[in-house]
Amino acid sequence: MTDSDHVHETLERLDYIDRPAADRPGFSRRAFLRRTALTGVAAGSVGGLLSACGTSASSGGGSAGVFGSHPSYKFVFVNHVTTNPFFTPTQNGIADACKLLGCTYQWTGSENSDVSQMVNALNSAVTAKADGIAISLVDLHAFNAPVEKALAAGIPVVAYNADAPANKRLSYSGQDLKLAGEEMGARIIAVVPEGEVGLFIDTPGSANLQPRIEGVEKAVKASGKPITTHSVATGTSIPGEISAIEAYYKSHKSAKGLYSVSGGSTESLAKVMQSLGLRGKVHAGGFDLTEQTIKLLGEGYIDFTIDQQPYLQGFIPTLQLFLYKVSNSQTGIFEANTGLKFVTKETVEPYKAKSRFEGTTATAGVVK
Amino acid sequence: MASVAQEPASREPGGPEGPAQERRALPGWRAVGARLLALREGSIIVITIVTAIYFSVNTSNFFTGENLETLLPYFAPFAILAAGEVFVMILGEIDLSIAGLYLFAPILFYKLNTSVGLSLVPAVIVALLACMAVGAINGVFVSVVGVNSFVVTLGMLFTFEGLSLIISKGTPVATPGGQPPLGTFGKVFGGGTYSELIWAVAIVVILQIVLMFSRWGVYTVAIGSNKLGASEAGVRVNLVMIRNYMLCSLTAGLVGVFEAVRSATVQPNPAGPNEILFLAVAAAVIGGTLLTGGSGTVVGALIGALFLGILKDGLILQGVQATYLLFYTGLAVIVAMTANVFVGRVRRGQTGGG
Repeated sequence: MTDSDHVHETLERLDYIDRPAADRPGFSRRAFLRRTALTGVAAGSVGGLLSACGTSASSGGGSAGVFGSHPSYKFVFVNHVTTNPFFTPTQNGIADACKLLGCTYQWTGSENSDVSQMVNALNSAVTAKADGIAISLVDLHAFNAPVEKALAAGIPVVAYNADAPANKRLSYSGQDLKLAGEEMGARIIAVVPEGEVGLFIDTPGSANLQPRIEGVEKAVKASGKPITTHSVATGTSIPGEISAIEAYYKSHKSAKGLYSVSGGSTESLAKVMQSLGLRGKVHAGGFDLTEQTIKLLGEGYIDFTIDQQPYLQGFIPTLQLFLYKVSNSQTGIFEANTGLKFVTKETVEPYKAKSRFEGTTATAGVVK
Repeated sequence: MASVAQEPASREPGGPEGPAQERRALPGWRAVGARLLALREGSIIVITIVTAIYFSVNTSNFFTGENLETLLPYFAPFAILAAGEVFVMILGEIDLSIAGLYLFAPILFYKLNTSVGLSLVPAVIVALLACMAVGAINGVFVSVVGVNSFVVTLGMLFTFEGLSLIISKGTPVATPGGQPPLGTFGKVFGGGTYSELIWAVAIVVILQIVLMFSRWGVYTVAIGSNKLGASEAGVRVNLVMIRNYMLCSLTAGLVGVFEAVRSATVQPNPAGPNEILFLAVAAAVIGGTLLTGGSGTVVGALIGALFLGILKDGLILQGVQATYLLFYTGLAVIVAMTANVFVGRVRRGQTGGG
C-alpha cells in the first residue's frame, strides 16, 4: 500500500464513521465489516496517520489506533419503554459513545413495559451473538435466568436505569433509586412540618420507581414528624396522570405537599400546580427533566426536580461494554451512580438551552 | 341443436375434473406443491416459508438451532390464544376479553397459591375454571341476552384488567413455581424450553380435529354461516356459542399462566396483554379465519402466529431499531398479505375454483 492509499482509506473511514446514518436501522453490518476489513490491515497506522494529519483522535476515527485492532462491536440495549421520550438522551448517549468508539448498537425491547417481550428481545440478542447487552432491569425476577444464560454464552451484560439486586449483571449504571427517594423524603421533611402528603407513582411495583417511593416513606417515617403519606397510582399517560393528581388534591385539600417519583407524573404534577393555582400554597417536587417540567420549574410551580442524567445511562454502559470487550475482560466494568442532582428554579437555567444531552435536539452538543 | 351438443364438450378441459386428473398424473415435488396449495392454509404456509428463507439468507443467525429456541416464545403463546379465538371468530363473533383473562389468570393463580394456600396444580385448575366461568358469562350475554360481542367482551376486558390491578394492588410478584431452578410444574406449565411449543401443537391438533370432524365443530361452522338456519335445523345455538366462549377463555387463561411462569413474574400491566390480544386476532385472520365468520382454521392460526413470530424475531436479529420495528412490521404484513391474496388466487385456479 502506498501512502495515498492510506490517506484514501482513512478519509473513507472517517466519512463512514461521521455519516448521519450510523445509528439508523437497516445499516448493513456486512458493509461495515467489509470496510473494516479493508482498513483493518492499516488499522494500526490509522491512529498515527490521524495525528500526523493534525486531526485529534477524539474527532471520531482514531479509536481504532488507541485501543489496538479490534472488530466493530455491536451492543444491544434492551429497554422497557423503547419509544418513551425519557430515553431519547439515553439513546443519544449510546449513539455518541458508539461514534466515538467505532461500534454499533441496537435499541430494542418493549414499548409498554411488557416483561415477556423484553425477555424475548434479550434472547434474540444472545442468538444474534451481540458483543454486549445492556438492559433496564425493571423486574426483580424475570431477567435473572435469561441474563445468566447470556453470561454463560460469553456475552457481557450490564444493567442501566433500573437494577435488580439478585441479578448477576456485571454492573449497574443509573441512579441509586432508594437513596434518591430518601433524599426526596429529606426535602419533604424540611419544608412540611405536618399533615398530608400525596406521592404519585406511574406504576406501583415497577423496579425503576417503587424503590423511590419506599425511600420517601422510609425517610418520612424515620423523621418522626406527624406526616401522613398517601401513594397514588397515576398510570403512564399524561392526561390520565393529570386527572389522577387533580382528583387526589380535590379530595385532600389540606395536603401540604404533592410529590411525584417518575418523570411523566412530575410533568403532570407541575401542570396541575399551574391549573389549580397551587404555587406558593402547596409544596411540590419530582423527578427528571422533560421540556415542560423544565419550563414550569423555571416559573416556580414546583420546588425541585431530581436529575438522574439519562444521557450517561446510555453513554456509560456503552463505554463499559466496549472497554470490557477491547481489554478482553481486564477492565471496563464499574458501578456508576449517575447521580442525584437536585435542580431548582435557581439552577434550572442551563437546562433551558436545547441540547442532545437532554434529548431536546438531535444536533450535536448544546444549541447555543 | 349443434351448439347445445357442443357446450359440454367445450367445458370439459377447463372443468373441475381437468386439473385434478392432471395433478394425479404429475410426479414428485410438483404434486406435493399442488397438494400444499390445495389446503386452505396453503397460501400462508408458502408466505411463511418465503419469509423464513428471506431471513435465513439475510441474517446469519436466523437458521440456527439456537434461534429455534429463541423463536418459540415469539409465536407459541399467540398460536394457543389464536386457536381459542378461531372458535369464536367462526361464529362471526369476537372475544376481546382474552387479554383481560391473560392478565387475570396468573394473578388469581398467585393469590390462590399464596393467600388461600392451594398447591400449584389445584391453584392453576381453579384459576382456569374461573376463566371458563367468565367465558360462560360472555357466551350468555352474546347468545341469550343478545348484546354485541365486541361490546360485551370489551367490557369484560376492562373489568378483568381492572380487577387484576385491584387484586394485585398494581404490584408485580414472583410467579409461584416459576423461580429457578424450575420444578416439574414450572417445566410443564410454560417454563421448559419446549413446553409452550408442545402445548401449542397439542392444542392446535386437538382443536383442528374437533373443528373438522366433531359435531361441535360442524355446528360451530353452521352457526357462523347461517345462525337461523342452524337453529331451525335443530342445533342448540346458545349452548354451542357459550361452549366456544368458554374454550376461548380457557386458552387465554392458560397462556397467561404459561407466560407468567416463563418470565418468572406476574405483571399486572394491562398494556402488554392489549398488544397480545391484537396479535392473536391478527394471527387467526392471517391464517385464513374470516372476521365475518362461517369459515376458519386452527392450523392456519398457528401458521399465522408463526409468520408474525418469524417476522418480529427476524427483524430484531437483523438489528432493526425499536423506533423502526413497528414500521417495518406493518409494511411486511401488508406486502405478505397482498402476496397471500395472489397465492390464494393461484391455489383456487389450480383446484378448479374450489
